[in-house]
Amino acid sequence: MARLLIIDDDAHLRESLAEVLELEGFECCQAGTAHSGIEAAKKVDPDVVIMDIQLPDSSGFQICQTLRKRSRRTILIMMTGRFLSSEEKKQGFELGADEYITKPFDLAELSIRIKQLLSRRTAD
Amino acid sequence: MAPPVRRGKLAYKMLGWFLLISLAPMGVVGYHLVGISQSSLRKATLSMQKTLAAGFADTAYKYVTTYRNVLAETAGIEEFAAMNPARQQQYLDRILQVHLAILELSVCNAQGAEQLHRGRLLGAAPPLRNFENEEFFIAALRRGQYIGKLERQGIYPTATIAVAVTDQKAPPPGKPAGVLMARVSLNGLTSMLGMEFPATGKSAAAVVDKRDGFLIAHSDPKEVFKSDARLSDEELKIITTQTASEGGGEMFLSDGRRLVGAYADVHDLDWVVYVKQPMEYAYQGAAEMKKQIFEYLLLVVVFIIMLSLAAANYIAQPIRLLRVAAAKLGRGQFEDIPEMIPTNDEIGELTQAFLDMRENLKEKTGDLLQAQQELEKLNRELNKRVEARTRELKAAQDELINKERLAAIGQMASVVGHEIRNPLAVINNSIYFIKTKLGIAPGGTDAKIEKHIKIIESEIRQANGIINEILTYSRTRELKPERVLLNAWIEELLSVYPFPPHIVLDKSLDPANPPVDIDTTEMQQAIRNLINNGIEVMPERGRVSVHTRLSDDRGRVAIFVGDTGPGMPPDVQEKIFAPFYTTKARGTGLGLAVVRKVADRHRGAVDVDSVVGQGTVFRITLPVAQAAAPGARPA
Repeated sequence: MARLLIIDDDAHLRESLAEVLELEGFECCQAGTAHSGIEAAKKVDPDVVIMDIQLPDSSGFQICQTLRKRSRRTILIMMTGRFLSSEEKKQGFELGADEYITKPFDLAELSIRIKQLLSRRTAD
Repeated sequence: MAPPVRRGKLAYKMLGWFLLISLAPMGVVGYHLVGISQSSLRKATLSMQKTLAAGFADTAYKYVTTYRNVLAETAGIEEFAAMNPARQQQYLDRILQVHLAILELSVCNAQGAEQLHRGRLLGAAPPLRNFENEEFFIAALRRGQYIGKLERQGIYPTATIAVAVTDQKAPPPGKPAGVLMARVSLNGLTSMLGMEFPATGKSAAAVVDKRDGFLIAHSDPKEVFKSDARLSDEELKIITTQTASEGGGEMFLSDGRRLVGAYADVHDLDWVVYVKQPMEYAYQGAAEMKKQIFEYLLLVVVFIIMLSLAAANYIAQPIRLLRVAAAKLGRGQFEDIPEMIPTNDEIGELTQAFLDMRENLKEKTGDLLQAQQELEKLNRELNKRVEARTRELKAAQDELINKERLAAIGQMASVVGHEIRNPLAVINNSIYFIKTKLGIAPGGTDAKIEKHIKIIESEIRQANGIINEILTYSRTRELKPERVLLNAWIEELLSVYPFPPHIVLDKSLDPANPPVDIDTTEMQQAIRNLINNGIEVMPERGRVSVHTRLSDDRGRVAIFVGDTGPGMPPDVQEKIFAPFYTTKARGTGLGLAVVRKVADRHRGAVDVDSVVGQGTVFRITLPVAQAAAPGARPA
């Protein structure tokens, strides 16, 4: 059972997303801030972290950097509500992001994509 | 051809001065000359009259003395003094024979008794008279001779002349033996006067007895041969009051006659010769001379006026020319100025100065005009530049405003988009959860719930699409141009475009197939927007046309995207490229705004040509890529 950590300041969003992904068979935990997210990651050691780029106490890129330092294996998916410039995207990938998704997202597609990334990582 | 001469005031003033200078002295001199001439002429006339009077006084004296001498010679003869009547009668008859003027002769003795009386028409023995108390007898005895006793024989004047008869040899000498007396006709004097003073000259001459005005002789016989012919008392008075023995002058008579007269006393007698002439005749010469002088003077005046006029014109002409020229110069006419030849006097210097001034003025005015023209030219250029600069500034300002507006829209859209996307994402998640849950429970799915879930999902997509459109339009993305061959690029675009079945595609690409530098993502969006619009206005059937055409100078290429829809009226055509303007029930109004933004970002342009009822054609014009642009790649 893969563990997912969802970091977003919007409680509805992270709850709805968590519950949809739980239906898909993932074990989900949530965090509302960057700080609590990092703390949660330390505690649960998630396989996948889905985080918003804009958080009240920090940027998603910083969490991305921190988490990537902790673990090379964790799949990091960045969520955004706006268009990102290619510069930003490049920066994110350099800091260790694996995927970008734009709100609102196709959940079936996301589910498949996560499963794909997980199976590829297991194969490694 | 000289223009008609119009004399100015100067010419007339000069004329006046010339006339004054030349005529005034001439007038004065002429007046005095006339006066002098006239007075000398009058003097001459008077002196001639005096001479004539004196001359005739002499003649008259000689006339009477001739007869006295005859008597004296006869009386002095010894034989006659013997007082022999027979002998004496012989002498007397001889005298009567020789001297026709002697009318009768008498001899009386020393006592006055007439001894002998001979005469014409007296008959053989006239009665003898006693002369004892007669004046002539007494005078002749005492003084030896007598001339006087003027009387008329009928109408003819006569004088009595008497001499003493004295025997010169008988002692004592001087004792008269008697008196010889003669009555002499004075008609001869009248004849002589008539010869000297012909009736023509209106002058008259008379011999008059001073004492009573008895008219002895007159140049006009009619005046003297009258029974009582005498000179008028007035004239007589004038003559007799003169003290000199001869003289003359002008006389003004009470009857209005004006005369020039002269007189001369006859020697030893109380006679006076009187010559007179009416003044107008006497002074006829002077008057004639005066008239002639005035005529000449008039001629001279006319001549001087003409001469002065000519001179004044001659002097004033260059000044007049100068005035005309100056007036022309004043109006700024430098050419067509009357020809003026500077003479070697002050006027010539003035003319020369004027000509110099004209040259200077012409030069200066020319410079001024040139400067003005240059100034105007500069001004025009400046204006042009200012206008161009203003246009540029306006364009820059518009662009800036546009950019700022777009930036503001972008910022707002970014915030709004982000904030709306979150709830959208939540809704999306939730509906997915519900859908999944319902799908899991077999047979529990209500068809209507499923339908509404689908509606919600569709609306989420549409809302997201709108947000995407706004974000796309407002995003400040860097342009990434790459070189493509236009035909191939369009072919690829059309091949993947999902045309619905009721739409026919009409494709016609220019075989020149020019290369263009375009951001393919954005340009694709623009073309797709245009095709989308075309399809949207043709819900049932229609044709979408995509054409390209290279411009004649091969500098630009146009992409036409047309439809056969309902078309747009001109007022709509004006607004369709403005952001948020839409004619659709649903739509952001950003589709064509994006097209324009893309065209602008490619240094191109977009316009529309639409006819209501026939359709609409959009045209995007792009610059053709130049040969050696970097980043080129084969299509």
